[in-house]
Amino acid sequence: MIKAEPRTILSFLHTYFEVVHDLFAIQSEDGIIRKEMLNRVCERHGSFIQAKLRDYRVVRSVGEDFEMRDAYFKMMEFLLLEFKPLLPETIEKYMMSISELFLKIRRSIAQQSDRDILQERVKNLNQQIREFVDMVEKNTWRLLNETRDLKSNIERIEYRDKVHKASFWIEYYILPLNKILDVNHSDSIAQKLIEISEFANRGRLDFAEETVRSEFEKLYVQLLQTNGDLLRQSKILTNELLPLLERIRTESLILTGWIEFLRNPYKAAIPPMLKTQRGLVYAKDMLYKVREFFQQFEHPENVYLEEDNAPFDKWIFDRELYKSKLNAVLPVPDFFNWCVKELGSSFPEIETEKFFAMTGLIFDEEFSIEYNPEGARAGIRTTTSQLTVPLLRIEASEKIK
Amino acid sequence: MVYPKDHRHITDDLMSGKFILASHETFASLKENADFYTDFFKQSFNYELIIKSDYAYLLSKETNENFSRDVCIFIAVLSYELDRDGKNFMDALEFSEFTVEEVDRYFENTSFIDLIESNKQLRDAEGRRHLINAMTRRHIAHKNFEDRFTFTPAYKMFIDFAKELALKRMGGELQPVMN
Repeated sequence: MIKAEPRTILSFLHTYFEVVHDLFAIQSEDGIIRKEMLNRVCERHGSFIQAKLRDYRVVRSVGEDFEMRDAYFKMMEFLLLEFKPLLPETIEKYMMSISELFLKIRRSIAQQSDRDILQERVKNLNQQIREFVDMVEKNTWRLLNETRDLKSNIERIEYRDKVHKASFWIEYYILPLNKILDVNHSDSIAQKLIEISEFANRGRLDFAEETVRSEFEKLYVQLLQTNGDLLRQSKILTNELLPLLERIRTESLILTGWIEFLRNPYKAAIPPMLKTQRGLVYAKDMLYKVREFFQQFEHPENVYLEEDNAPFDKWIFDRELYKSKLNAVLPVPDFFNWCVKELGSSFPEIETEKFFAMTGLIFDEEFSIEYNPEGARAGIRTTTSQLTVPLLRIEASEKIK
Repeated sequence: MVYPKDHRHITDDLMSGKFILASHETFASLKENADFYTDFFKQSFNYELIIKSDYAYLLSKETNENFSRDVCIFIAVLSYELDRDGKNFMDALEFSEFTVEEVDRYFENTSFIDLIESNKQLRDAEGRRHLINAMTRRHIAHKNFEDRFTFTPAYKMFIDFAKELALKRMGGELQPVMN
């Protein structure tokens, strides 16, 4: 049982990735991690590492030595894209398990046996097919890398040795793998998968039980994808791996460079090229920018705006004063004329505003107004207007007792 | 001051990242005035002028990394596939006319498909056409028709890079890693 939290283990792998990487490299090379090798790798990072590796079940002891557990080994293979080439005999075992499960599924349906076990078998078949494709992909990848190494020949090995190596790969790995993937070969797994795909297609449409139909549906979708993937792998085998002997006949320094570059082009140095500037050497809006630049150094004379605080000659009509004046002279035969004379005695000019303020006195209830029976009118000139006004006689109104 | 012949044309082309090829009229003037232009670009922009026997280009301290990498992958995969197809890829790059359909076929069937699919410029036919157009603008490729192109001598800059890389790896030197 692992006491540590999964997150703690992942954090450990992250922190001490180099240790795990080194152990992975040792195991890939020797198939086992010798005790001395483990000690040597761990002592660089502290003695506690070894205990942690065992606590987190990254390694397990095999006699006096150690090995990396399969789950971690596979994870490292996947992360580093460094797969161990498998002999096709190892892959062929899937032929057995897939055929066996397929046969049992058909029998289950024919004998109408238990639905649950049928469902489980379809699920297992799906799982086996996934593992098989995964295995083929990893193997093709590894073979591609090996053959590219031969083509690149970075170690400059002799042509005879190259041919020897190529023949080895072809005889023990490439040709048997091709046999497995060759759809035209009646015994190939690829051929079997096509047969299963047709069967799954009928099952997903015809089967009475919905849950089983759903499993067949998943299997069918998986197989559609699988057959496409296998076709791609088969194409690589035919185009690139089988003609290996022919391909290694020629060698080119430039092609070696390209193969090395393509191993990881995103980490490789690249030929430098000019990074062009956006726009022209002289910007289109340069005139405005230069003007703006120089304007910041300009110091125009300060202009001060003073608020006009000059006293405003505002005339306020003193109603009581003029009312008493009017009362003193009653009766007045021509009210408007009286207004003009009164204003004329106080101001050099008669403004319309002042005139109308004065005429407001006639609305006072103390005065009674008498209109001229003939409708006679008189003209009055103010600073801005020429007014025509009626002749009004003003008297004191009778007071109600 | 009297400037060399085609001065404006030369500076316009080089400053916009184009290669000037020996077949261009401006190349002769550039080569005749190599010292002047080397100094001119160094003093004015701190750019380095590279003049080879059949092409010339400018280099800045900052490099157009993505474009250069995309072109490298494009030429590398094409070379690899031409070789796999039994052709002499160097002859093909030097003399052959490529159709975009032929390039698409090579890229769709290459075993470097995972790499191609992870690259925005190369993953589909449209992206590859854009890259070919960008190479044409920079005079690395020449479009004979809408769907046919040849490489100009500027492709040799990338070939030299591959050669140097191979020699470095063979010599056991560690390749400088970006970032």
